[in-house]
Order: sequence, then C-alpha cells, then structure tokens
Amino acid sequence: MDIAGQDAELPEIRRRSRYFALAVMIGFLVVAGRLFYLQVIQGDTFFRVTSDNIVHTDLLPAVRGQIRDRKGKVLATVRPAYNVYVTPRLLTREGFARLRAVLGMNGDEAMDVWERIGGDGGPGKAAERPILLAEDISREAMAAIETGVDLPGVKIVSGPRRSYPMGTMAAHVLGYMNEISADELRAHKDEGFRPGDLIGRTGIERQWDGYLRGRSGFQKIVLDRRGLPKPDIHDVIEGPPVQPAVAGNNVILTLDADVQKSAERALRNVSAAGVVVMDVNSGRILAMVSKPNFDPNEMSGHLTPEAEQRLLADRYKPLHDKSLAESYFPGSTFKAVSAISGLEDRLITPEDKVKCHGSFDLARRRFKCTKTHGVVSLYEAIVQSCNVYFYELGARPGMMDRLAKFGSDLGLGAPTGLGLNGEDAGFLPTEEWYREQKRLNPKAEGFQIGQALNAVIGQGSTRVTVLQMALAYAAIANGGKLWLPQIVERIESPDGQTVEEFPPRVRREISVAPETLAIIRQAMVGVVNERKGTAYRARLDDNIEVAGKTGTAQVHGRHTELGGYEAGDHAWFVGFAPAGKPKIVVSVLVEHGGHGGDVSAPVAMEIIHNYFENVAPGDRAAPKIGLPRHHLKTLDVEAEAP
Amino acid sequence: MNPARGVGWRRLRFRFDWTLTLSAAFVTFLGLMNLWSAVHDKQSNLFSQQISWLGLGVGVFLGVAMLDYRTISRYAYILHAVGVALLLGVLVFGKMVGGGRRWFELGAFHVQPSELIQLLTAIALGKYLNDSPALEGRTWRHLAIPVLIVSVPAWAIAKQPDFGTAMLLLLVFFTIMLTARLRLRTLGAIIGFATLAAFPIYQHLLHEYQRKRVEAFFNPNSEAGYQTRQALNAIGSGRFLGKGFLHGTQIRLRHFPALWTDFPFAVWAEEWGFIGCFVMLLAYLVLILWILKIAGDARDRFGATVCVGVAAMFFWHVFINVGMVSGLLPVVGVTLPLISYGGSSVLTIAAALGLVMNVSVRRFSY
Repeated sequence: MDIAGQDAELPEIRRRSRYFALAVMIGFLVVAGRLFYLQVIQGDTFFRVTSDNIVHTDLLPAVRGQIRDRKGKVLATVRPAYNVYVTPRLLTREGFARLRAVLGMNGDEAMDVWERIGGDGGPGKAAERPILLAEDISREAMAAIETGVDLPGVKIVSGPRRSYPMGTMAAHVLGYMNEISADELRAHKDEGFRPGDLIGRTGIERQWDGYLRGRSGFQKIVLDRRGLPKPDIHDVIEGPPVQPAVAGNNVILTLDADVQKSAERALRNVSAAGVVVMDVNSGRILAMVSKPNFDPNEMSGHLTPEAEQRLLADRYKPLHDKSLAESYFPGSTFKAVSAISGLEDRLITPEDKVKCHGSFDLARRRFKCTKTHGVVSLYEAIVQSCNVYFYELGARPGMMDRLAKFGSDLGLGAPTGLGLNGEDAGFLPTEEWYREQKRLNPKAEGFQIGQALNAVIGQGSTRVTVLQMALAYAAIANGGKLWLPQIVERIESPDGQTVEEFPPRVRREISVAPETLAIIRQAMVGVVNERKGTAYRARLDDNIEVAGKTGTAQVHGRHTELGGYEAGDHAWFVGFAPAGKPKIVVSVLVEHGGHGGDVSAPVAMEIIHNYFENVAPGDRAAPKIGLPRHHLKTLDVEAEAP
Repeated sequence: MNPARGVGWRRLRFRFDWTLTLSAAFVTFLGLMNLWSAVHDKQSNLFSQQISWLGLGVGVFLGVAMLDYRTISRYAYILHAVGVALLLGVLVFGKMVGGGRRWFELGAFHVQPSELIQLLTAIALGKYLNDSPALEGRTWRHLAIPVLIVSVPAWAIAKQPDFGTAMLLLLVFFTIMLTARLRLRTLGAIIGFATLAAFPIYQHLLHEYQRKRVEAFFNPNSEAGYQTRQALNAIGSGRFLGKGFLHGTQIRLRHFPALWTDFPFAVWAEEWGFIGCFVMLLAYLVLILWILKIAGDARDRFGATVCVGVAAMFFWHVFINVGMVSGLLPVVGVTLPLISYGGSSVLTIAAALGLVMNVSVRRFSY
C-alpha cells in the first residue's frame, strides 16, 4: 500500500471529522432548543393540561325502540331499572356482607361475585372501574342500600331496562332478549355491541333487533387524581370526547292487541295450540298465538335456573312457536286443496256423486271414512268431511303430484316468508319423493296409490303450519291472492316520524279459476251452517256467515305405547268471515285436542264473533252465499232410499 | 508475534480509555434509572433482562476491544456479508409482528439484525476506504462499491418494512463518505437526486402506517398524532426541574406502544425536566465528541472511518429519536442508544464501543 497516499488522506479525515463534530454540536443545540421551548417556555401550559389526569369513559346506553300494535298500544318498551355497581378497590368485606344480605344472594352466588371482583386481593381487586354487581333490584333493596349505613364503593345507577307491559301477551311474536355471548360479540364486533349488552333472541326482538337497538354512545371526561372532573381539558382524550347515544326506532306491528287478547282468551280451555288471525285482503297478521307461552319480562334477564328448567321440561313446549315453527298433518282442512285439484284438472264436477259405504277398499287395504255418508256430491263431501269421496279422487293416476302442485300454488310446502322464529316449511310429498325414499332405504314402500289416498285427506307425509293454512284459506277467500304475510306495518323514529312503511305485498295470484274458488267457499259455508256440517254445533248465533273447514288429524304413533296426551288427534279449524265479503281468516290448531269441529271451531268462532262485535263492527255486512238449509236433508232422504 | 501487535489484555489495561468508558457508563446508568421508573410498579422482567443484556454487553465490549482491529478489518467483507445474509433471512424466516418482519426468534430472544448491520457497514466501508486511498476528492466512480455495500442492506431493511432504520443507515453512510473526502459537489448531486426521489417513494413505497405518521407530524391533532401528542404532553409537563424520579404519569400510566424501545426519552423528560434532558444530551455529546477525537488520533483510515461511523450512529440515533419524541420529526422506530430496552441494540452498541476502544488503545502502534 502506498504510505504517502495513506498519509495524505488521514489529515483530511481528521479535518472533516472536526466539521462533523461541529455539526453534531449544532444538531444537539437544535434539539436542546426544542426541549427548552417545550419544557421551559411552554412548560406551564403543558403541565396544567396534563398533570395527573385520568380519562374516564362513561357509557351512554341507547334507549331501545318500542314495539307497538297497529293502534299504538305499547307491547314492549323501556323502563328505568336500578342497578348496583361496585368499585372493587373501595369495597370492604363488611360492605360486601351487608350488600349480600340486602340483595339476598345465596352462598354460591356470593362466592362467584366475590371472586369476580377479586375479593381477597388478586388482579381484580385493584380495579378502579365500577363493575355491575346486580341488575334491576327491587325498590326495597334500593332503599336499604341508599339509606343504610355507609357502603364505600357501592353505587346505584338507574339504567334502561326492557319491559313488556302486557305480560305474556303475544310473547312468541315479541320474543325476548338476553345477554350477548362472547361468540356473538366477535361475530358482530363492528355493530357497537359491548359485553353485557342484551340482544334480541326470538320474535320481533330478534328479527328487528337492528332497527330497535339504536347505538350506544359514550362520554369521556378527564378526572384528576381525586376523581374530580376537569372540564376545561380535552387534549389528553383520544378521539372525540362525546358521542351521543342514538335511540332505537319503534316497530309498529300489524298486530291488534284486542284481537290478540280475544284469541288468547278463546284458548282458555286448551293446553297447547297455535292460532293465526289475518286480514284476508292484505296478508297483515292481526293476531298470532302460541299456547302455552312465557313471560318475556322473566325471560329477558330475570330467568332463574329453576324457571328455565321448568320451561324446557314442559311437555307443551312453551318456548316453541306453534303458529309457524312447527308443522302438523293438515287432516281434512287439506280437502280444500284436494277439491281444487280435482275441479281444476276436470277430474270431477260439482255434480258428480260418490256413494259412501263408510270405507274404501284398495287392493287388500281398507281406508275408513268417519261414518257412512251415502251418496254425496262435492258439496256434501266437504260439508260432512266424507273421506270416501276424496279417496275415490285420490285413486286417480297422478293425484299425488297434482296435490303437490296445487298445494304449492297455495303456498304450502315452503316458508311463507314472514321470517320470524325459525319458520317451518311444512312438506308436500310427490311420487318422486316416495321413490327417492325407496332408493335411499330399500325397506321403504316406494310410491303406492295408498299414499295418495292418505295425502288427499291431509294425512301421510303432508305437513303444514298454522300460518300457511291461514294464507292458503285467505287466497281461497279473497279470490286468488296469495299474500306475503306481514307482521310489521312500519318503522317509526323515536320522535314519531315514519321512517319506513311496508305496504302489503302479493306473493302471487294463484292459478285457480275464480269459479272453482266460489264452489269451495260455498261448500265451506255449509260446513258451518248446514245441520250436518262438521262445525254446525260451533256456529254463531249472530248474523255473520262464517265459512271454514274442520280437520281432525290423526297423529302417527297413535297405537304405540306413547299413549295419553301425545296420541290424541290434532284439532283444526280454518275459516273466514263474512263469507260473502271476507275480511279475516282464522286458522286454529289445538295440539292433540281431538275433534276439529268440537274443539277448534268454537275457538275460531269466538275470535270471529269478538272481531265483528268489538273490533270492526262495520265489516260484518256482506251478502249471504250459502245454500238453503234444507238442501242437504233432501239428499239424505235420497241416499237412504235404496 | 510482533510485540507491537501483542494481544490485548495488558495493552488494554495499560491504555484503557476511561473517558470513553465512563461517559458510556453514565448514559447507561441514566437509561437503567429510566427503565426502573417504568417497571417498578408493574409485574415485568424488562429490567432484569436489560441488566443481563448489559452484562453480556460488557463482555462483548471487552472482547472486541482486546482483538486487534486489523484482524477485524481482514474479515470486514465477510462480516458484512453475514450481516446481509441475516437481514435477507429475516425477510424470509423472520417473525411476523405488526405487519412487518424485523426479528428472528431464537428461543426467548428476538434478534434484530438491522441494528448490527449499521456497525458492519461502517466496518466494510472502513475496509474499502483503507484499501483504496484517494489522492483527490472522491467522485461518482469511487462510489460504486460503497453504494453496493450500503444499498443491499438498506433495501432489505426498508423491505421489512423499517423505513426509519433504513434511512438511518443511509445517513451513517453519507456521514462516513463525506468525512472520507467525498467531493461536496457529488454529495450535493446525491442529495438533489434523493429529494426528487422522495415524493414517489412517499407515494408508492411507504406503507399506510408510515404515511399516517408523516401526516400526523404535519397535523398533530389527527387520530394518528395521538402518540406524538402524548409524548409532547409528557415532555412539556416536565418543565424545568421535572416531576421527580418515579413520579411521571403521562406516559407510563397509559397504553403506549413501543414505549421502552422508541419513547423512553419522553419518560425521562417528564421526570427530570429540562435539566435532566440537558444532562443526558451533554453526556451523549461528550461521548460522540470523544469518539471523533479518537477518530482523529487513529493511525489508519480503517480505524478513523470506523470511529466516524460509530459517532455517526450515535449522533443520528439520538438526534432522530429525540427529534421525533419532541415533535421535530415524524415518528419512526429509531432507538436511543444505551437507553432503549433491547438486546440487539445493547450488543451492537457494545461492540461498536469496543471497536472504538480498540482504535483508541492502538492509536500509537504502527
């Protein structure tokens, strides 16, 4: 290496590093100057702004919207409740013992709570933030805490609480709420939920939760070390200091509390039932009942483990919505569909007659009728619910698929689209479905004519919901409009402005001739008004012409050891009134209730009577469409003659 | 063995540089006090870990000081290559943390090679400058190899992405090259070019969070400016005399990401006030000027260049860190040497100081 070169460069590096040293000093001077500015010149300002501040966030809960009926009656609202908060750091053992006595906590509960607040030291004990200890305490407990000896770290804060002023009324429609789970918190993390928030579990509370909930807000305040607010200081707060809560919207139902009340009252003598009352000309639901029900006040946060056990163990399944979440054999109420299928595909005419000997033989099987009806036309077959007439129709080739086709057209076998409480789709079997069963399980029968004979009287594999039947009969009553059922009429802002309105929506015009529907309607009037009609005993004395069809659906397993209540027939009645100008349809199912005409028809009649007496007396006027009373009698004589 | 080149312990003991050692030890002591203030009321083993790192650091310092630095110079390029390989390895195998790969995970330890590469780059540059002397000022054509030496690691660090450290490496590079007779005109051209390149880099190469930080710098009231605002509150509220040891409240009581690596100065400023800051900066200044003095006394260009490089590392780290904490510069993740918590930083600084000691000890031997 060239020594000279090396020597020549070293002094240069030395010289330049001196400049660098100068640059370093200047750099440090700049930094020191900046610090001098911040700490000495601006120091007092910074100190005042920031000294010992604690930012405290108060949650501002949103007021949940009301649920009201179509006349404005409040079905669900919010009332003030008193909640107990404790600050773990301040709570003493004596204070906790007193609190425990006042709140009536038992030993296990108390241990849980004591551990949760980190009672004997541990990480929770140092917490400054108050935590919720008990919700919605009684007025007596509140008075005891407020006026009793000093309880350090215990605070009573009033907060909004969901309340259902009508008690158990329309419980399944309204639904209930309970605390959001950790999984749901993760799933809905962008929607402003916090741990401890309640979320709608069933019914409207669940389905319309997003509208009802509103958005909770917060207020961040700056406290000094002693806990006194320092309102003039904002800089230490991250983000906006206040976000006001936004109240939830009100949901206005199509439900009519008066109709609902009368429907629930009409079920006083039965144990388990589902009822739907609907406006025939709009698809708006006026009442929807599932019996037995529950108290949403109790379900929404006050449910004791014992009460929960009781509800879950109840054989009548109070938590299950029988109006739409369960499907049943339709029994003879399905004969309306069978008759429509026969008439529309010109397999029968109203004049065709069949002689009923009390049973119908097919190959080696005997299909029974309810009794021996003699010679019957379609009219008499519906009025008296003669099975043989329909067996004869069911034995025609292709009848199974024809029933499925017209049944689907009337909205059976598919969810109605109400979107509440996990709607059951029901089921309409086809020949192909039976053959498919055989492919899957060689022991199955496959398709046989016998299955069509069962299907034509609403047994076998056909299943429908109470709501579906209401819609199908409404379509028969109103001349062919199958509605999209509607339970929410509109959404209203907290200050009463209509935000969103839901007009009635037709699902489709069914492809059945109006004349066919007229024939069915007339026969249904006979069911109630003919002396031999299956619902004659339940007819109303007042001047309202009611049309409808009874059903007594046999339950599978009738002959098994199950026995007792669960083996009884399901009792159906689906009807509408006034027959000449239909206004409402009423669909009633009494689980294992027995004979439709004896059990369900009276329920429907009471609801109809009450509706035209008290709710809408103006709607009762309508032309009569029934045949003269004596008509059937003559036929009887003819039938008995031979 | 040539007695002049005799291995170390005796020579080290004989010519031990107390000024270097004590000023570095003083800064370290301030850093430990500051760290204690943070963790004394929390369940945290940061403090004992830092003590272990410093213990290890003393070993590295003495070890590097004892080796003859000419031996180190012989392996300069290999060492640099190993450092670059580590950096590239981090890009591929490193632990994904907060959207970037910056660490190796070796058992319980995080190894951050972007710290070490700064020293290794200084060593490689020293080797190059030592081997190819220039009689005139250095121009573009002398820059090819140095640029190669620095650009690969700088690219790898920027890719992690750690834009602050990449920039710091470039600053150290420019400082070294400028001291080593780079022509001012050439430097001017480079700076001009860099300014032109800055805008497209900002637009396209910076990550979202990095842009946010820059925006936060120009608009301190924005959401992203929260960190800076809290740091300023802490520093300012320290006033002239500070709130006293263990009495800071602004930062350590709040959630503050990267506090013990990037923001310890804010805690120091709050507790010790302007006086404390002045003392700390003075200690750094003494250390840096002393290292530059050693550079001036070095017997060859390798020694001189390495010392200038170490001084540049110290200066730019301190300047950028304190500048960003006090709101003069945008927030970038740059540590405060000997004060920030972290093994990679402590060991790199220890090795760097060991090298400087090495040069200092051998300044009279030819």
